Amino acid sequence: MRNVLFVAFLVFLIAGCATQGGKSADIEQRDLFDQQQAQRQQEAARKQETEKQAQVMREQDELKRQLEEQQRRQQGQVPQQEQPIVRPLPDGTVGESQLKSDPWAQLKEAESPLSKRSVYYDYNAYDIKEEYVPLIEAHAKLLMAHPDLKIIVQGNCDDRGSREYNLALGQRRADSVKRAMVLLGVNEKQTETVSFGAEKPVAFGQDEESWAKNRRSDIVYPREPQ
Amino acid sequence: MNLTNFGLAKRFRDFSVMAGLLFCLAVNDAPAQLTIEIIGGGANQIPVTILPFAGEERFTQRASQIVSADLQRSGMFRLGSVGSVRPFPVEPAEINYRYWRNEGAETLVIGSVVEKADGYAEVRFRLMDVAKQSQILGFSYTVTVAQLRVTAHKIADLIYEKLTGDTGVFATKICFVTKNADRFELQVADADGYNPEFILAHKEPIISPQWSPDGTRIAYVSFERRKPIVFVHNLLDGTRTVLANFEGSNSAPSWSPDGRKLAVVLTKDGSSNIYTINADGSGLARLTNSQAIDTEPSYSRDGRYVLFTSDRAGSPQIYRMRADGEGEAERMTFEGGYNVTPRHSPDGKSFIFIHRNEARFNVAVIDLASRQMQILTGGSLDQSPTFAPNGKMILYASEVKGRGILAAVSSDGRIKQRFTAQSGDIREPAWGPLLNNRRKEQ
Repeated sequence: MRNVLFVAFLVFLIAGCATQGGKSADIEQRDLFDQQQAQRQQEAARKQETEKQAQVMREQDELKRQLEEQQRRQQGQVPQQEQPIVRPLPDGTVGESQLKSDPWAQLKEAESPLSKRSVYYDYNAYDIKEEYVPLIEAHAKLLMAHPDLKIIVQGNCDDRGSREYNLALGQRRADSVKRAMVLLGVNEKQTETVSFGAEKPVAFGQDEESWAKNRRSDIVYPREPQ
Repeated sequence: MNLTNFGLAKRFRDFSVMAGLLFCLAVNDAPAQLTIEIIGGGANQIPVTILPFAGEERFTQRASQIVSADLQRSGMFRLGSVGSVRPFPVEPAEINYRYWRNEGAETLVIGSVVEKADGYAEVRFRLMDVAKQSQILGFSYTVTVAQLRVTAHKIADLIYEKLTGDTGVFATKICFVTKNADRFELQVADADGYNPEFILAHKEPIISPQWSPDGTRIAYVSFERRKPIVFVHNLLDGTRTVLANFEGSNSAPSWSPDGRKLAVVLTKDGSSNIYTINADGSGLARLTNSQAIDTEPSYSRDGRYVLFTSDRAGSPQIYRMRADGEGEAERMTFEGGYNVTPRHSPDGKSFIFIHRNEARFNVAVIDLASRQMQILTGGSLDQSPTFAPNGKMILYASEVKGRGILAAVSSDGRIKQRFTAQSGDIREPAWGPLLNNRRKEQ
C-alpha cells in the first residue's frame, strides 16, 4: 500500500511539475517529505528505542543487584561461614601508636586539621588563602607518610557566569591544591584533580553565603572507609 | 537529512507528562513541556489575518493555529480579526475582498486540510493580497498526519519570509538540558518547545551541547564518568561516540562550519587550552598555548576565526584568533571585568557573549565593524546564549526565582520571550541549524 501511495505521490509530483510552467497554476506542489527516508528513520528510531529499553533493563538489573547486595549485607547473609574470620589481636603495647599510624583513623580525628577537607576561595580566584595552608600541609604530611595513599582534589565554583569558564576555573582551583602539595614533597602520582565547575553545588541560595560555600576544592580519599 | 523527520520518528510522549502549551491556543492534546510567554514586540508589526483552514478541526494539530502562534511569537506580526463571515473562504474565488478590507486586513491566509488514505493529509494554503486581490503565495503539501505540525511551521516560515524578507526559523529544532531532582536530560524539541524528547538521561551533569552544522549530531560534555568528557551523539541512529577523553578535563566543543572537526578545551598538558580534533576523535592538534585559561571556542561561519574566552590579561575577556592558529590573538572586549561565552553571529558581522554588568550577568552584542557593545538582556544570571540560524533571535538560559528557564531576545533587544518548564530547571540551550533543503535557498 505504501508503495502504491508512493507511486501515486510521484505521479502527483510530476503532474505538479508539469503544471508549474503554466500561468494558471496558482498552487504549486512541493516534495517536502521523502517517504523512504522517513521509513529509514523510523527503523533507526525503532532500533534506538529497543536499545534504550535494553539500557533501562540493564540499569534496573544493576539497581536490583545493588539492592540485593545491600540486603544481603544488612542481613549478614554474606557467606561468611565458609571463610575463616582472621582478626589480629592487639597485644596492648602498640595499640596507641598503631592507631596513630592508621591513616583512616587519623583522618577521622576531630581535632586534627586532617578532619577538614575543603579549601575555600574568593570570587573568580584560585589562589590558596593563608588560613588553608595548615590544612594542606597536614594532608601533604599524611600522603608523604603513606605513599600508597591517593587523593582526588575536586574543584568547584559558584554558579554565576559561564559554566565552561567555571569548569576551567574549578580545574585551576584543584590544580592549585595539588601544586601546593607537590611543592611540599608529595609524589605527584598520589594526587589526581578533577573539576566539577558549577555543576555540583552544595548550597543552592542566590546569595554570598551559598556562593562562598560552593567556591571550594574538596580533598577526597577515594578508598577511605565511610 | 531532513531535520524534521527524526522528531517524528522517536516518540517519548509518555515521558513528557507536562501541561499543554498555555500560550494563546490550547489546541493540542499532545503534552508539551515548555510554556512560551512574549514580552514586548517589534516596533512595526506587520498585519496578517490568518483564517481557520477548512477541515483542520478533525486533526489534533490545527494548522492555522500553529501558523498564528509562530508568527505571533516572533513579535513581528499583528494578527487580524477573523471576522464574522461563515463559512471561512477556502478558495480565492470565495473571498469577499471588500469585507476583509473593511476589517482592516492587508494580507489574508486561507487554506484547508483534507484527510487522505493511509494516514496522509493534504494541506493547502494561500497568502492573499487583499488590496490587489491576488495571490502572493500558495502551496500544497501531502504529508503524514504526524507531519502536520512541522508542515504548519514550514507554512509559517514561508509567510514570514515573504512578509519580512528574512529566513524563517519556525521549522527548526532546539536542544537544552533539564534538571529534575538528580536527573539530567539532554532534550531535543521543536523551536516552539513542542515535542520534547530526551536523547540522554543521567544522574551526572550534562553541559555545553552544540549542534553539528547539518543538524544530525550533537556534541556535549557529560560528567557520567565522574569527570568531564566530550561525546558526539548521532541523532539519526541514536549512537554516540567519545570525542575527547584525555587526562584531565575535556569540554567546550564547537563545530567547524564544515562539520569535519571540532574545537575542544583540554587540560591534558596543564592549563585549559584549545585544541582541534576530527569529528571521529582522530587528529588532535593544539590551537592555543598559554598558561592562562583559554576556553569556550566559537568558530566563525566562514571558518576563518575562532573567538574564545581567556584570563591571560587577568580577568576573563573575549579574544579572537585565526582558526589556523597563526598570529597573535586579538582582544575583543574591554568594558567590564568579566566577559565570557562568545558566539559568532550567523552573518559574521557581530558576536554575542555574557557580560557582567555590576552584579548581573547579561547577554551583550558587539558589532565587529564599530566595536560597539550593546547589552540585550536584563536578567540576574543570563548564560549560554545561542543564535537562531537566521541571526534574528538569541536563545539563552536565565533564572527566575532561583529556577532555570530559557529566554529569547531579538538581536535588536526589542522582542523578548520566556520558555518555562512545568518543573525543574532548563539550561544550556542550543539552537539547531536550518533544514538542508532550505539552506540552499538562502
